[in-house]
Amino acid sequence: MKHESADRLSRGESPIHRLSPGLKTGAVLAFILAVTLIPFRAGAAFAAAGALLAGAIAAGRVPASYLLKRALLLEPVIVAVAGMALFQPGGAAIFAAMAVKSTLCVTSVLVLSATTPAAGVLAFFRRLGVPSILTSMAALTVRYVHVLGDELRRMRRARRSRTFRRGKARAWRSASAAAGHLFVRSTDRAERIYRAMSARGWR
Amino acid sequence: MSPSAVEIRDLRFRYPDGRAALDGVSMSVEEGETVGLIGPNGAGKSTLLMHLNGILPDVHRGAPAVFIHGVPVEKKNLLRIRREVGLLFEDPDDQLLSPTVWEDVAFGPRQWDWPEAEVEAAVRRAMAEVGLDEGFGRLSPHHLSNGEKQRVCLAGIMVSRPRILALDEPTRALDPRGRRRLQSILRALDAVKIIATHDLELVAELCDRAFVLDGGKIAASGRAVEILSDERLMLDHGLETPYSLKHGARG
Repeated sequence: MKHESADRLSRGESPIHRLSPGLKTGAVLAFILAVTLIPFRAGAAFAAAGALLAGAIAAGRVPASYLLKRALLLEPVIVAVAGMALFQPGGAAIFAAMAVKSTLCVTSVLVLSATTPAAGVLAFFRRLGVPSILTSMAALTVRYVHVLGDELRRMRRARRSRTFRRGKARAWRSASAAAGHLFVRSTDRAERIYRAMSARGWR
Repeated sequence: MSPSAVEIRDLRFRYPDGRAALDGVSMSVEEGETVGLIGPNGAGKSTLLMHLNGILPDVHRGAPAVFIHGVPVEKKNLLRIRREVGLLFEDPDDQLLSPTVWEDVAFGPRQWDWPEAEVEAAVRRAMAEVGLDEGFGRLSPHHLSNGEKQRVCLAGIMVSRPRILALDEPTRALDPRGRRRLQSILRALDAVKIIATHDLELVAELCDRAFVLDGGKIAASGRAVEILSDERLMLDHGLETPYSLKHGARG
């Protein structure tokens, strides 16, 4: 599962892992700001940002497969958005710059996720004074992605153990049923979580 | 006379779909008592526990039927009542809502706006109370066993020093070792305990009194051992006398 490996990697060991979560989060935010400010044709600046990122990847021992898999998931979105630029004069350079910038930013966040436990990042935002409704929502997401992932895995296993025939159409149908099922289960769980939060004084 | 720790007078409750869950329940639990709430599935045990703490959405209509140390469970008293009554839910994953164990135990006190140093001391004490050493603080709930999850939930409740504990199926997902451990922790905790469970051995071992709930009504109540030993009563309500209380089992 996706979150599994981010979770495992973030508890690993490297010089980058040892840095404080606040420092790393701040550095990534600064990096993203800097990258967005690079002028479109400043090739040297792009190269420097890329080199910095590559250094962090190497020092943090982040596996390339981890980065590639996730970056590929996001890349279609990046290309689609940047692609809008192609419709204006001189758009090719803008397109290239936007695509590179976005990729750099996304990768920096991925490196952060692979070297810093989510709880550390959240604690940093809380100390910064980010409203608690936002940090609480993020914390709940981090927590329940795991629970939902487990639920999905159990459902998939149970379904597979009762599947005797192959066939694309059938597989799609049962996959969509599973998605619906998971949705219903999740809303039920959300209700129970809300009750548990209220019972502990949430207001 | 000082008021009962918990007093319920003719409590009725329907779920929004019209199903009657509680149909005129009256009972009281005194200071220092541990009581068992037993009955078949769907009898209303969990619903009853949730009323102790006022978390079902439309309980605030009409006259209050639940009193905690004499204070009615109604909107204006809710925050106070929720501190006084700790509720342990059936599924630990519903209750463990923070990315780390430490944060989760600290969830309650942070709602009460305690100073951070006090939160820290309270979390440390609560974790010690349920036998979790400090190393657990950094772990994510995802990496815990069921027994450990259950204990973290309990710490998350004990941290605000409730005087009443309402526990919903506390031993449901535990292996015998985890169950034994939980049992000795519960025994040591200083609070009124109301335990809704199918684990009748647990009731026999921990509870002074037992209430049989069936179809949203209290069908019987009395000394736990006497209730559990009444084989006819047990069978009539989808229960059974625990092996340890059957004739001859204890020699």
